[in-house]
Amino acid sequence: MLGRVYNVSVSATLFNSPNPPRFLCLLNNKGKNNFSYISNPLYDSLKTIRWNSNNNCRMEAASNFVTRASAQPLKNADQLIDSVETFIFDCDGVVWKGDKLIDGVPETLDMLRSKGKRLVFVTNNSTKSRRQYGKKFETLGLSVSEEEIFASSFAAAAYLKSINFPKDKKVYVIGEDGILKELELAGFQYLGGPEDGGKKIELKPGFFMEHDENVGAVVVGFDRSFNYYKIQYGTLCIRENPGCLFIATNRDAVTHLTDAQEWAGGGSMVGAISGSTQREPLVVGKPSTFMMDYLANKFGILKSQICMVGDRLDTDILFGQNGGCKTLLVLSGVTSLSMLQNPNNSIQPDFYTSKISDFLSLKAATV
Amino acid sequence: MNCKTEATTASQLLSPQNVRDLFDSVDAFLFDCDGVIWKGDKLIDGVPQTLEMLRSKGKKLMFVTNNSTKSRRQYAKKFHSLGIAVSEDEIFSSSFAAAMFLKVNDFPREKKVYVIGEDGILEELELAGFTGLGGTEDGKKTAQLKPDTLFEHDKSVGAVVVGLDQYINYYKLQYGTLCIRENPGCLFIATNRDAVGHMTELQEWPGAGCMVAAIRGSTQKEPIVVGKPSTFLMDFLLQKFHITTSKMCMVGDRLDTDILFGQSAGCRTLLVLSGVTTQSTLQDPSNHVCPEYYTSKVSDILEFLGP
Repeated sequence: MLGRVYNVSVSATLFNSPNPPRFLCLLNNKGKNNFSYISNPLYDSLKTIRWNSNNNCRMEAASNFVTRASAQPLKNADQLIDSVETFIFDCDGVVWKGDKLIDGVPETLDMLRSKGKRLVFVTNNSTKSRRQYGKKFETLGLSVSEEEIFASSFAAAAYLKSINFPKDKKVYVIGEDGILKELELAGFQYLGGPEDGGKKIELKPGFFMEHDENVGAVVVGFDRSFNYYKIQYGTLCIRENPGCLFIATNRDAVTHLTDAQEWAGGGSMVGAISGSTQREPLVVGKPSTFMMDYLANKFGILKSQICMVGDRLDTDILFGQNGGCKTLLVLSGVTSLSMLQNPNNSIQPDFYTSKISDFLSLKAATV
Repeated sequence: MNCKTEATTASQLLSPQNVRDLFDSVDAFLFDCDGVIWKGDKLIDGVPQTLEMLRSKGKKLMFVTNNSTKSRRQYAKKFHSLGIAVSEDEIFSSSFAAAMFLKVNDFPREKKVYVIGEDGILEELELAGFTGLGGTEDGKKTAQLKPDTLFEHDKSVGAVVVGLDQYINYYKLQYGTLCIRENPGCLFIATNRDAVGHMTELQEWPGAGCMVAAIRGSTQKEPIVVGKPSTFLMDFLLQKFHITTSKMCMVGDRLDTDILFGQSAGCRTLLVLSGVTTQSTLQDPSNHVCPEYYTSKVSDILEFLGP
């Protein structure tokens, strides 16, 4: 493999298709996810390619092919709004913080709808199902329907559906209620979840933990009732059940569960299982483009007609960029201006602004 | 290249023909514990007799374990309960390593250490004069999620030590995460990164590698690893026993910790198949860690040497 040159012309849309050409998959050195040995500059910035069980590649973090200019402060909101057909919003840090709505959000969403824009909400938070999120929106006075919401809990179930995961196999869940609800809606049998948070083990002579040999996938997400029992159960399934999938809803390091501070996120639980199995998971949440591909397909939209709005560079903005969308960073969540402008940061959205209600206040300059 | 085909790096099966060579050229034997001496709480056959024979022939014995759940003192007790006479200062556990790392690096006594791990680590920290928080006790705590309520953490924590923790929970993950992310200069120390181990004799269980990866996932920082294969503990061994490493033989069941540890320090190496590694794993083309010798279990040394 070393030294071989690939003379291929590759366009950006190639990486957005759900079925990238086989040659991208063939570059995946068995067990390794780095492509640093390939000298072709096109691939210098490729970070990972993940396999799904059908041996189709999914681009996970193909960052920039060209060096991106620094993010511009949003000045002409109307121009941005007119240039796209769909807005995808992250939730935590964009629409709300904890259980508190961010100022000006309802009016902003209303304005966008009145201009005929499609609104979609994509969140990595897997604790709720789409239906439960719908209720949260309602409680906060926002009219958003379930079909407009794509949580990583939904993504996990949708992924299993997309690969025709057999209905006679089971799914072991290290995560919360949202994942269980979505799996049930999709018609899959599951084990685990919050209930297993109460199970204890005693490491003493003669103690043996059984596990269901019919588990064909372990889904790992944010889990406040994480414990050694669940870690062992998931580990046994992945290590011992042939072909068992290891799926992660997301790998966010920290999350704003309350608006006052950061909390250890799904990246922690996923890291734990990766540590005990020595395997990398298939990630369905941002920045993986699985959800982007899903909704583009579902709504029949072109990705160039989408603007991704989020507060996190390594999930939201990367998600938008991987998908070939326009990207807008809001500073109402986890990212500050100094973090964006830090020389160590290489992720530059197209625009940045303080919060989404700036859409209402920033008007085109009169010439 | 692998351990089977390459003539110069091939691992030799230990036999009555080659054992004497190894035995005569080595003054000290370093033993891993889990999978070598015992499995969970069950002694592996023939171990006491083998160790007795080695001592009677003037060989020094040392025990180097990545299992941080016990202190050296608690390990000595375990050995005694299994009928093997071992003194505390022949034991080098990763719990001890963590405390020693802080000591040699002049960790300030007024700073505290948050422990995601079990009592062994806390005891070693205390013996070394440090203040430990967390440990088994925090396994009972839950994280309260209420608006306007802060999850508090001690701002004087200057190091988080992570090891095997069967009482791992969200409270500890959050506490350790906050210390590392928010206390300036807070160290992230891992006793070891073993993925799984024989915590009981009947099956493998997730090891410290799991807890360490969890904290790595939430902090996006790499830990300082003090246990095998890091050679940190080797310095202590050499200080105590004044033997050159080429005259030591590391006996272990794990390629990526025990054997790598031995090789990095220039020791002879012997893999036993009584623990986590099978012959097929050793000889798999993807394995690049080749011990000098391999055999089924420790008592083969006694058997092959004969009367």
